[in-house]
Amino acid sequence: MRDHVSRRSFLQGALAVSAGALAACVAPAAPAEDMGDEGAAMEPVHLRWDTFRGIGSGWNEERIETFTEMHPDVTIELRPLAGSGQQDNYAKMYAAQAAGDLGEIIAFDPSHYHFWRAINKNIIMPIDELVAADGTDLSQWFEHFLGLQYYQGKLYGFPSWGWAGFDTLVTNAVHLEEAGIDLPDPTGNDVSIDTIDEWAHSFYVEGERFGLNISHNEATVVVLCRLFGSSLINEEGTKCLLLDDPKATEAMRWAYKLGVEEQVLPAPGDLENTGGALVAGLLTMNWCGSLCVRNFKNQIEDETVAKAWQILFPLREDGRIPSQLRGGTWNLRTDQDHADVGYQFLLHIAGHDGSLDFNLVARNFAMVRPDVVQSLIDEDPIHEWFIPSLENGIPAHAPANSRGREYTSAVQQWTDLLLDPHQPVEFEKGLQDLHDNIQAVLDEDPA
Amino acid sequence: MATLASRLKFQGLSERLTTTKQRRDNFYGYLFLIPWLLGFFGLFIGPGLGSLYFSFTKYDVLSAPEWIGLDNYIKMFTDDPLFYTSLGRTFYYAGLGVPLGVIGSMFLAILLNAKLKGLAMYRTLFFMPSLVPIVASVVLWKWLLHADFGIINQWLIDLGWSDPPGWFGDRRWAIPSLIMMGLWQGLGGTRMIIFLAGLQGIPESLYEAASIDGATALHKLRHVTIPLLTPTIFFNMVLGIIGGLQVFTAAFVATEGGPGFATTFYSLHLYRHAFDYWNMGYASSLAWFFAFVIVSMTIWQLRLSRRWVFYYGS
Repeated sequence: MRDHVSRRSFLQGALAVSAGALAACVAPAAPAEDMGDEGAAMEPVHLRWDTFRGIGSGWNEERIETFTEMHPDVTIELRPLAGSGQQDNYAKMYAAQAAGDLGEIIAFDPSHYHFWRAINKNIIMPIDELVAADGTDLSQWFEHFLGLQYYQGKLYGFPSWGWAGFDTLVTNAVHLEEAGIDLPDPTGNDVSIDTIDEWAHSFYVEGERFGLNISHNEATVVVLCRLFGSSLINEEGTKCLLLDDPKATEAMRWAYKLGVEEQVLPAPGDLENTGGALVAGLLTMNWCGSLCVRNFKNQIEDETVAKAWQILFPLREDGRIPSQLRGGTWNLRTDQDHADVGYQFLLHIAGHDGSLDFNLVARNFAMVRPDVVQSLIDEDPIHEWFIPSLENGIPAHAPANSRGREYTSAVQQWTDLLLDPHQPVEFEKGLQDLHDNIQAVLDEDPA
Repeated sequence: MATLASRLKFQGLSERLTTTKQRRDNFYGYLFLIPWLLGFFGLFIGPGLGSLYFSFTKYDVLSAPEWIGLDNYIKMFTDDPLFYTSLGRTFYYAGLGVPLGVIGSMFLAILLNAKLKGLAMYRTLFFMPSLVPIVASVVLWKWLLHADFGIINQWLIDLGWSDPPGWFGDRRWAIPSLIMMGLWQGLGGTRMIIFLAGLQGIPESLYEAASIDGATALHKLRHVTIPLLTPTIFFNMVLGIIGGLQVFTAAFVATEGGPGFATTFYSLHLYRHAFDYWNMGYASSLAWFFAFVIVSMTIWQLRLSRRWVFYYGS
């Protein structure tokens, strides 16, 4: 027997132990194929629900409780995702999928551009067969939001939340009333671009108040281009239109004039909390969406300082409302044993009660079902304001290569550069850079 | 002979006892090392070597890595417009922030090493910002430095500066704003404590001798304190530069790399590719290049230190 353990032999041993420990952490083997027989279906079913939607509101727990009351053999484990930003949670879900630990009930959101990538990576499954077997009536959801859940002819989920994008000027009515301006019809589409331009100037008070805020994120830039009759990228998601369509160029030139030449818009970073600025009376019109209108209304404490109103943009020549219809999804993970049970749970959370409480309890914006819209109007008539865009909006266009995150990041950062009043660039140069960098993303290999 | 035999026997017994004790000591030593070694191999060496391999692949976590040789490294130098700019911004941040931080902490430590009434309270007060979580600190500074409604710009306007900086919203001022925030949090932190420890290690006799020779306070600072603090300065510089080059959290929380990429530091650029865009292979190549840069700079600093670091008594 050796007198002592040598350093080398100990390190070898430690390495072996480490390797063993790592091997133990490796993803478990893929679950067995769907057993398919009735006997297996009778076994107790355990599903895992991985989501960041509704967490902390009590909505998820209530949905689980009401579902398991109806299906005593089913247990559903809620596994909250709590990334610092919503996008971080997709990273967690991709990592969980790579580790073989992703839950059976999930949501890869088309409006965050992860939906198509998740389909291409075989993470979420089509549900057409389950729809047919169940005889589900698909007309219970708005057609345009259900349409967003299709990819290459197959249906991959049910709408959870949906809105018309940044289709609204969320307006502090107090400022308009103080200026002696009659409040425009909130669903009238009768305020022209020239009037918006005029108000951006007239309500601007240097160091005290901004008349208009235009964010530089993708949600805003797309609707800005649509307001002028174009869009940011083509419907196929392969081409940036900023230089190719004069209307898109004109849209960016208008924003450039206001932000850089006339400097009446907040510079990048000036207004970190636009919602708070509206409530405090520091901003008159914020280019945002219907969700912002509702939030603004709910946050107001002093109606002498702020009162919620909305201004819809003028209709385009084609009669459509400048908007970007976007909606979220509840999906089922591929390779699961009890997709039929999971499907029933999808119906439970995307049905009338689930969807209504998703609005009222979870404080999301889920006007994806006509019956829910009616219930919401009964709850608060302000919801009537949001119907025109839902009925006559324009769907979102996504990059064909599923490079959604790169796309939104390129739009935001290069628009910052184009519209920066502190270090102005020539309009043509800034627009060329913005266009080229968006196109570079669209030209990348599929994600 | 008997005496010799008994002595040899005793010696053998003693050796055996020593060996047994040594073996037991070794066993416990290694036993206590195991947790660290597990972490070292499992969480550092293993993933590190894994990322080296991935740096030569196209890899998105969800699909099997595809070997592409040096393509990622070639792309980094020739086809990534943010590579050089993010590297440049990182050096700008570290190049300005670290010297200011080290010098500031040193002088703060010198002040707090003086025999003052209420010294413990001052030390606590200066140390407190370093206890504030960085995210809370960022939120605080975002409000303080708000271009239009922030209190600092209100003061500047009151003082007559009609067009004060846009701070985080202004590409020219975004990095200085982050540096300013870092100084507020870091000047009185652990770096100051290390300087205090270094100051208290300087023999009092050297100051007495200097006084006898007629040295003023400034002379003592220049010819006694600073030379004898050079090992501490060097230590703080090395750690400061490594930390400064890794700047991430403040920019991630405060500006998300904006406006217009103004605070897209190298680590943030790397993070985006890894966890936002899922270009894990490319992100690995960025990481290995950066590791090479940091190690090279540290070696360079070590070599340079022979010229200016003075070890008392050596």
